[in-house]
Amino acid sequence: MMLQEVAIGHETVRWEPVPAEEAVIQVQNLNLYYGKHQALYNVSVNFPRNKITAIIGPSGCGKSTLLRSLNRMNDLIPGVRIEGKVIYEGVDIYDPRVDPVEVRRHIGMVFQKPNPFPKSIYENVVFSLRLQGQKEGLDEVVEQALRRAALWEEVKDKLHEIALRLSGGQQQRLCIARAIAAEPPLLLLDEPTSALDPIATERIESLLLELKQHYSLIIVTHNMQQAARIADRTIFMHLGVLIEEGPTNVLFTNPKDKRTEAYITGRFG
Amino acid sequence: MQKGLSLDSSQSPQNLRRDRINRLFARAVVIPTVIALALIGVLLLDTLYDTVSVQVVEVTETSGKSFALSQALTADQVIRLELLAQGKSPEEVAALMSDPDEMRVFRLRNRVELMWATQEGPLRWVVSSIDDERIANYSLFEGLRRWNELKEGLQENQQLRLNPWLDYSFLTRDPSRNPISAGLRVALFGTLWVLGLTLAMSIPIGVGTAIYLEEYAPKNRLTRFIEVNLRNLAGVPSIVFGLLGLAVFVRGMEFGPTIISAALTMALLIMPTITIAAREALRSVPDSIRFAAYALGATKWQTVTMVVLPSSIPGIATGVILAATRAIGEAAPLLIVGAAAYVAFVPRGIFSEYTVLPVQIYLWISANLSEFANTAAAGIIVLLVTLAGLYALAFWIRRRYRVEW
Amino acid sequence: MNAAAWAQKKPSKSLKERAVVLVLFLLALVSVLTTAGIIFTLFGETLQFFRQVPLLEFLFAPEWTPLFAEPRYGIGALLAGTFLFTAIGLVVAIPLGLLTAAYLSEYAPFEQSVRVKGIMELLEGIPTVVFGYFALLFVTPIFQNLIPGLNLFNPLSAGLVLGFAILPYISNVASDAMMAVPRSLREAAYALGATKFEVVTRVVFPAAISGIVAAIILATSRAIGETMIAAIAAGQRPMLTLDPRETIATMTSYIVQAATGDQPAGSLASRALFSVGTTLFVLTLTFNILAQRIVERYRERYE
Ligand SMILES: Nc1ncnc2c1ncn2[C@@H]1O[C@H](COP(=O)(O)OP(=O)(O)OP(=O)(O)O)[C@@H](O)[C@H]1O
Ligand SMILES: [Mg+2]
Repeated sequence: MMLQEVAIGHETVRWEPVPAEEAVIQVQNLNLYYGKHQALYNVSVNFPRNKITAIIGPSGCGKSTLLRSLNRMNDLIPGVRIEGKVIYEGVDIYDPRVDPVEVRRHIGMVFQKPNPFPKSIYENVVFSLRLQGQKEGLDEVVEQALRRAALWEEVKDKLHEIALRLSGGQQQRLCIARAIAAEPPLLLLDEPTSALDPIATERIESLLLELKQHYSLIIVTHNMQQAARIADRTIFMHLGVLIEEGPTNVLFTNPKDKRTEAYITGRFG
Repeated sequence: MQKGLSLDSSQSPQNLRRDRINRLFARAVVIPTVIALALIGVLLLDTLYDTVSVQVVEVTETSGKSFALSQALTADQVIRLELLAQGKSPEEVAALMSDPDEMRVFRLRNRVELMWATQEGPLRWVVSSIDDERIANYSLFEGLRRWNELKEGLQENQQLRLNPWLDYSFLTRDPSRNPISAGLRVALFGTLWVLGLTLAMSIPIGVGTAIYLEEYAPKNRLTRFIEVNLRNLAGVPSIVFGLLGLAVFVRGMEFGPTIISAALTMALLIMPTITIAAREALRSVPDSIRFAAYALGATKWQTVTMVVLPSSIPGIATGVILAATRAIGEAAPLLIVGAAAYVAFVPRGIFSEYTVLPVQIYLWISANLSEFANTAAAGIIVLLVTLAGLYALAFWIRRRYRVEW
Repeated sequence: MNAAAWAQKKPSKSLKERAVVLVLFLLALVSVLTTAGIIFTLFGETLQFFRQVPLLEFLFAPEWTPLFAEPRYGIGALLAGTFLFTAIGLVVAIPLGLLTAAYLSEYAPFEQSVRVKGIMELLEGIPTVVFGYFALLFVTPIFQNLIPGLNLFNPLSAGLVLGFAILPYISNVASDAMMAVPRSLREAAYALGATKFEVVTRVVFPAAISGIVAAIILATSRAIGETMIAAIAAGQRPMLTLDPRETIATMTSYIVQAATGDQPAGSLASRALFSVGTTLFVLTLTFNILAQRIVERYRERYE
């Protein structure tokens, strides 16, 4: 790590902040602790509807942690403590009365490494419907989800083969299809292309641009060009603190904070 | 003194010796494997050899005919010929043979079998009664060497035959105090019953325990205690489980020496094995798969039953089959919980008395070796073939269904 | 702010999850209950036994004859038999097992070690009743030709075959221990000009010694508990002797003999049976725990 000091108490720089009415999900004063170690410091941000928001920042700055706190995946890690609010559809998802399982049905997630189930392609896609016990109309859902994930043409003849035989890029698109089959309004993606080659990455990027018509997307990425290519807004984080957020072109061309500038010009960890 | 690196320094007597020892040792480490392999080979060959013998038998008046293969091709045809030869009319024979009860009695009292060689010629059907008395039994080698001499010495009512003990009818005959007509049928059914019931109980318990420990258990003292306890239980001698079964199931619950007692005992015995195998299978499922399920809105139980468990089925199945082989081969605990009693009938339910393959073999060995050595050998071959089949199945599942993550 | 209807927790569902955990926990408790059952039945009957038979008699009487008109209850006779049987087995299994372990961890190329492990699994998979038959009908007749005065049932041939039955336990655990020895240690020795033999015997063996000891202890425990080979080939006649040609009884073979003869529950003979079982249980458990301790210790060392 280059900068060792902890950036606490920093005022976040906000360019054209997203108004509450346009936000699909609002983070308010979020603090997160892994046991004694604090990983997020007082993060507040609104994520816009039907747009792509990129989260960037050096390794270990808490990007994944922030993303996982949006669909309560952090609950699965023992010893995690969370303060603050995450408001989705008018509900604080950390309200004790809220069922985290229900939250995850509304907010989908795609992981860094493709992780298809060792089942057929078809069963992978309909998994979330099976969870609800849905039995009808599965075929249509499979076709639609795979078409949206730009995978249909490649796999339509082998829907019942085991998904582990697909290539890495195909597996990742399958995971996206699986996540959107349940029609979650918000989709979280944690470095979805970091395990893929440039061609597969390209396909997934254009897929994400398509998807934003139907869904709101939040994507963590290490790849600055990727953020510049696809994201409408970008968030820069550092050592658990949200440093700067704004429209991608503004943030990339005219960063206000020195650390943002250092990071996007590549002079940084 | 100067010690340079000279090429012939390895030629010094001491280094020569070190070198020789080194090379000898490199060979010696293979020896145990070779010996073990040889032992397995000798064991198999010797047992196979013991399944064939040459015997002289004194036949009763009512039976003892032999029929050439050209006269009859099936055991039923032989029975017809035999009954006719006993002086029954064709109508009587037809009536007898259409009555299943009569045929059962006939089969219980007689053995109809194709013998490799008899004094009347090779490959003849021989009908022997359980009243037939064995005069002498010779090992294959000795019997063949003295074949002609023995044939000369035959008295009236005596037959000389080369008996392959292990054939289909050996599997279908009931037990008998006479080795000539003793068979494995009851033991085979007993093994099936005990095994089925054992697995029916130990799979849910073993897999349930594994799921609890791998997916649910909090990291605390109690969990640690359960784990240590499981490991120690796996090392308890099987005969101790027999004592437990004797005290609790046979006596305490008054089930007596029945299938249910045997299966309960066996289930406790193989449960740790299944648990350990199932835990390993569950552990091999990567966490990323679990997270994928949670992220789609699965509850913990849905994640376990819809993703984790199905993904680890091949591993669990392999473990269960290996545990089953243990349950099939174990004699000691079942001897203690009462499989020893002489049982003449196929079990009809879980409260029937029973015997199982290895116990039957033990009984034959310990009854009277000169009489039952051949049946014991034949039984061992059946047992080993059964186990080999199961091992092959486990191996096949492991290769065919293993998930490459 | 109220949690909207879509996100409300459903009490029925969490109830179901909790019921599931409870059921699984109860299944996990079966193994604990089994251990408790073993301890209670064995120790219960044994306590009853010691109400009637003094401990001194149990420890020091020269004979074990519970069914005689004047019964004696000297566990020594059974321990001697068990010792003979086990010792002969170990004499066979230790050298063979350690050589195999050395082969597996130091010499064998990958495919070869897979094959050797397969052979060891084969040995492990053969039911012991088969080994017993082999000892009695194949080994004993050969030995009887070589050794005058050898009984039909004797611990010599039984122990020899036992050695092969426990060989896999030694080779498995010992080779694991030897493989855990760090590479750097071997390389240091090679750099000093040691031959492979010297590296194996002077570096790897000593470094893995605790694991090797654990392997031997584990195999000893298996041998003590091994039943069918002893019952078939070593004999079922308790005898205080260390002559391997004599017919003896091990604790296990005595249990088989006594339990197959019908003994009414609650009789002294039946309790004597359980007292032998307790001795067997305590002995094997001690050995197992000892082996586990040692293995855990060397695991820590090479963490
Ligand atoms: N399960 C965990 N337990 C404890 N600490 C954790 C855990 N996960 C993450 N952390 C810590 O929290 C901080 C943020 O981690 P996070 O994974 O969110 O970083 P990231 O920005 O996603 O990094 P990367 O770009 O490498 O993925 C790090 O200091 C990390 O060490
Ligand atoms: Mg990350």
